[in-house]
Amino acid sequence: MSLEPDRCLTCSDEAVEARVRSVEGLEAVIAIDARVERVAIDLVPDARPGDLLLCHAGIALERLEEAP
Amino acid sequence: MRYVDEYRDPALARSLSAEIRSLVTPGEVVRVMEVCGGHTHAIYRHGLEELLPDELELVHGPGCPVCVIPMGRVDDAIAIAETEGVTLATFGDMLRVPGGRGSLLEAKARGADVRMVYSPLDALALAAQEPDRHVCFFAIGFETTAPATAVTLLRAGQDETPNFSVFCNHVLIEPPLRAILETPGLRVDAFVGPGHVSSVIGTDAYRFIPEEYGRPVVVSAFEPVDLLQSIAMLLRQRVEGRCEVENQYTRVVRRDGNERAVAAIAETMEPREDFEWRGLGVLPASALQVREPFAAFDAERLFALPGARIEDPKACRCGEVLTGQIKPWECGVFGTACTPERPLGTCMVSSEGACAAYFSYGRLRRPREEAPVGA
Repeated sequence: MSLEPDRCLTCSDEAVEARVRSVEGLEAVIAIDARVERVAIDLVPDARPGDLLLCHAGIALERLEEAP
Repeated sequence: MRYVDEYRDPALARSLSAEIRSLVTPGEVVRVMEVCGGHTHAIYRHGLEELLPDELELVHGPGCPVCVIPMGRVDDAIAIAETEGVTLATFGDMLRVPGGRGSLLEAKARGADVRMVYSPLDALALAAQEPDRHVCFFAIGFETTAPATAVTLLRAGQDETPNFSVFCNHVLIEPPLRAILETPGLRVDAFVGPGHVSSVIGTDAYRFIPEEYGRPVVVSAFEPVDLLQSIAMLLRQRVEGRCEVENQYTRVVRRDGNERAVAAIAETMEPREDFEWRGLGVLPASALQVREPFAAFDAERLFALPGARIEDPKACRCGEVLTGQIKPWECGVFGTACTPERPLGTCMVSSEGACAAYFSYGRLRRPREEAPVGA
């Protein structure tokens, strides 16, 4: 789902880490570099703006734990 | 800002490289398989092999989801795409994978409605936008991608979308690992476990590897420092006489994975009796099929598929590459008859495929002349 040259252009089995900008229902707007995308958060329903999510194929798979 | 700067720190990478050198015994080769194609890609993109001692050999595993799809399933997808009134949607890499009747891209050139999507949810949205057409999503991928398909099936069920289906080709990571571990003359001493698959299934899913096969596993993230640290952790286990599953990717992966994702998969899909893998043959319970309650969205129930088994081209040695028996450059057609522009085998198609990674990043350092006589 990412277009960076070091990531698979399509899907394969790689995911990207992205920051949540806003949440609306079961959809989050995430920022990947300068781009924004929408991902489904059915599997991470308590995601909040500011969270880092692992996203793949249009959905968030997991929330990242950041070092304090 | 990619939040990854600390994982690409050159000083840290050099320090880990020195630690790795201190943990190997001169003349004693340790073979480490990175299971995931994303790791293979990262290793070559960042030139990590140059930071490793001669005693550390990396073996590339079967974890590229595009590479393991057999040609017969591509032909089945082409048959769906060529059905009147049907749009076939899939990930971009799948468009170029050669089947017995060419690729999906070639089917598109012949007039089939084949479209690239980034998510199965995009395919479902396409079905809503085009109610007069049937949209079928050609689903591939390991447990990383299966949750997206599961969520899509659940939403299709809730919305009762009448013109959407999934051609399910999701595969599971454990069966091919067992197949590799049971290969006679196995040349792998330790495993770098896949990071993103593990975010779904958790690290406990790999306990069978140390417990039944006596090989250590470290689940790893994908940045250069992550991979070097994971290799150092594997070597430290050997030096300290331990053999267990460790987790390097602690910022994402938990022991039990994401229970919601696992539940979504279990609600919508179930293991099929067996599935043919490119290079590994037919493996029991190694892939998923759509469950009965979602039968209305199951392309295998809706379409008459050829279902043929097609032999790989004889010159292509993808199977041996996928099981770590040979390096890509030991295949006779590597870089000649088989290139990323005109791939003969699947390992050359996806950027995560071992052959494509070698071709793009390591070809000049691994000239064909280095291949053993007879390879």
